[in-house]
Amino acid sequence: MTYPTIFPTGATICDPGRCWNGYTVFQAKEVGALLIDMNGGEVQLWKQLHGMPNRILPGGHLMGSSGERSTAFGSQDGIDLIQVDWDGNIVWRFNQYEFIEDPGEEPQWMARQHHDYQREGSPVGYYAPGLEPLTDRGSTMVLSHKNLRNPAICDKPLLDDTIIEVNWEGEVVWEWVCSEHFEELGFREDARNLLFRNPNWLQSGGGAGDWMHINSMSLLGPNRWFDAGDRRFHPDNIIWCARESNITAVVDRQTGRIVWRLGPTYDDTPELRRLGWIIGQHHAHMIPRGLPGEGNVLIFDNGGWAGYGSPNPGAPTGFRNALRDHSRVLELDPTSLRVVWQYTPVEAGLPFPVDANRFYSPFVSSAQRLPNGNTLITEGSGGRIIEVTAGHEIVWEYISPYWGRMLKINMIYRAYRVPYEWVPQVERPQERAIERLDVARFRVPGASPGGPRRVVAVAGVLPYRADAALCVRTDVGDGPSKEASG
Amino acid sequence: MNLTLFTVAGCVRCAIAKTFMAENGLAYEELDAIAEGRERFGQCYRAHRGAIFRGKEGIEFPVLVQGDEIRQGVAAALAWLCAGTGLDGYIGRNELSKGWVGGVHVSGGAPAAVDGLVAVLGLLKANGLKLQLDTDGRNPAVLQRLLEHGIGDRVVMDLKGPKPLYSALVGSPIESEDVHRSMRLVVRFPEFRFETTVAPVPGTGEGPERLRYLTPDEIGETALWLKEATGSHRQPYVLRAFDPQSSASGRFRSAAAPPPGSLVRHRTAARRHQVLSEIQSSLDASSGP
Repeated sequence: MTYPTIFPTGATICDPGRCWNGYTVFQAKEVGALLIDMNGGEVQLWKQLHGMPNRILPGGHLMGSSGERSTAFGSQDGIDLIQVDWDGNIVWRFNQYEFIEDPGEEPQWMARQHHDYQREGSPVGYYAPGLEPLTDRGSTMVLSHKNLRNPAICDKPLLDDTIIEVNWEGEVVWEWVCSEHFEELGFREDARNLLFRNPNWLQSGGGAGDWMHINSMSLLGPNRWFDAGDRRFHPDNIIWCARESNITAVVDRQTGRIVWRLGPTYDDTPELRRLGWIIGQHHAHMIPRGLPGEGNVLIFDNGGWAGYGSPNPGAPTGFRNALRDHSRVLELDPTSLRVVWQYTPVEAGLPFPVDANRFYSPFVSSAQRLPNGNTLITEGSGGRIIEVTAGHEIVWEYISPYWGRMLKINMIYRAYRVPYEWVPQVERPQERAIERLDVARFRVPGASPGGPRRVVAVAGVLPYRADAALCVRTDVGDGPSKEASG
Repeated sequence: MNLTLFTVAGCVRCAIAKTFMAENGLAYEELDAIAEGRERFGQCYRAHRGAIFRGKEGIEFPVLVQGDEIRQGVAAALAWLCAGTGLDGYIGRNELSKGWVGGVHVSGGAPAAVDGLVAVLGLLKANGLKLQLDTDGRNPAVLQRLLEHGIGDRVVMDLKGPKPLYSALVGSPIESEDVHRSMRLVVRFPEFRFETTVAPVPGTGEGPERLRYLTPDEIGETALWLKEATGSHRQPYVLRAFDPQSSASGRFRSAAAPPPGSLVRHRTAARRHQVLSEIQSSLDASSGP
């Protein structure tokens, strides 16, 4: 779809009276960890501090990574996971997961962290009343990588995902290895067959199959399901999602077994068919206690391309056989799989399907539930962050002005909104409403003003119909369900 | 007493044993265990189930029978033919395949019988088989002899634990210096690795409920000893979970199996001194060389 060459960046919409006002932090592409206010003012940049993602902790501390392993040998391996204070001093560091000796590189310990981590106190890493992350003690759950072989999956080396618990002293005290649970993942024979042949092969480091690509990991935290006796949702259990397999799952912290799972296929039951195929999803987590929708699972269902299965015209070998050109944010009841709330192209007001891909991020992205019921959505591939109300109105929008030099996009992996109180070092800013520009009238310097210079009437012409004649129909199809879009 | 050699067609190891017996003028009866000797082998197997091992890839041949003595595998057969029971402690059950011979316990035999061991293993090596030796640190002089003769393609050292507990974990007195010397020798072989089973510590508590396993700190001490002995913090060092069912001790057999993931803290402690320390997964345990 058309994407303009010239468009504004920074904050483009701000309705402070309807926003949950605070600071927003994100990794500005190839720049560093950036903290902005509601008007897009850049409060502080932690220059070149990497982050997948960056998170603000109470007291103005920030978490991230000091760097990434050479991409000749690894893929998205964070060298370490660090906590720095407001002035950039490192107050906590973890790197002792694997001793890495890449050819031509200095041998060193690495965390191999990627995509997520959670500091004790906060199950999901964003603000919820009474669930604040610890800043001077406590353990940290870390999503990491490990290279291994598992002939039950594939005869080639695998880049596997692991979840580890690291104590404040930096010692690994618990580990969960995804491939050890292959038989619990529900792959059908067609998927197993394809996985064996093509486990999402990456060339770096001599090659390895990034077969799952887990991209989020958080704790369930206290929740109503467990309170009602459903032990699958023990607060200590871990929820993760994996983009290549389309699987979202809950791991029992005690046994390591998978006790709840969504995917890899979505045509097995009426509930799954109603839900529709979740593809390449990110940031699946349980909305923490104290926030509207607590206990429901919030997922950024990217669409795009993912999955293993039977060949189809869009996937001749069956690799990444699920395809969709728009995204959905889904809030699910994990026990019934019913959609409680959603934000899809339909709720965004985009004619479906013809304009659906204007809400579309085929990779990265996230959704954070805010205390007033709004949802902060990172539509990451285009560097766009929006805050939408429960009624789907956009009350805040920000477009990242930071394009990478190596990767020339302004993507945002994941943004978080934090309360002003978490950054006591600066005076609380006063938000200013940003009037919405009328894009039909907005012109850049040098452009002619809108409107025809001369209008001529033609006898006999008819008025336009409400339902314009398009080459495709907009009233049919298997688009997003409207049942829960209230 | 008559010698009977059960073989199978096309078996290279059987051919090595037959050649040895022919060259040494040993009369024997050869029976193909899946052809004309099938019934006789079946009878033998049913009568000596404890002596004939059926592994993942089936029964290894040759199987040598002399009266009630059964020796399975080419190494055990040659050891019997060369030295009778003299090498029994050294040569045990082979669980390797694909050109490898294992079950050679450097620490298990009498040091005085080392010449016979060198002769038997040298013969296997000369016939193109690859040898995996194992040791728990006892008999460093035997390990030295094997090294000097170029015998041993891979050594696996079962490093039982830290110095203060070593004799208790082995079950007999052992000089720390012997273990130290063995570690230094092991790293001179073409391939090697060190392993420690996170095992119960004998002499602690009464009954299985009071049993304790090696602690992370003790594993850390073990890794440090390995570093000090070999001068390297990069040794291939593998931690294994204790399997109560396979324990020789009745007391330990009744112990509760360690829970999954219980070795992570041990690995963390080991990595302070041996950075490549890893936990043996079930896949590693089941895969051959």
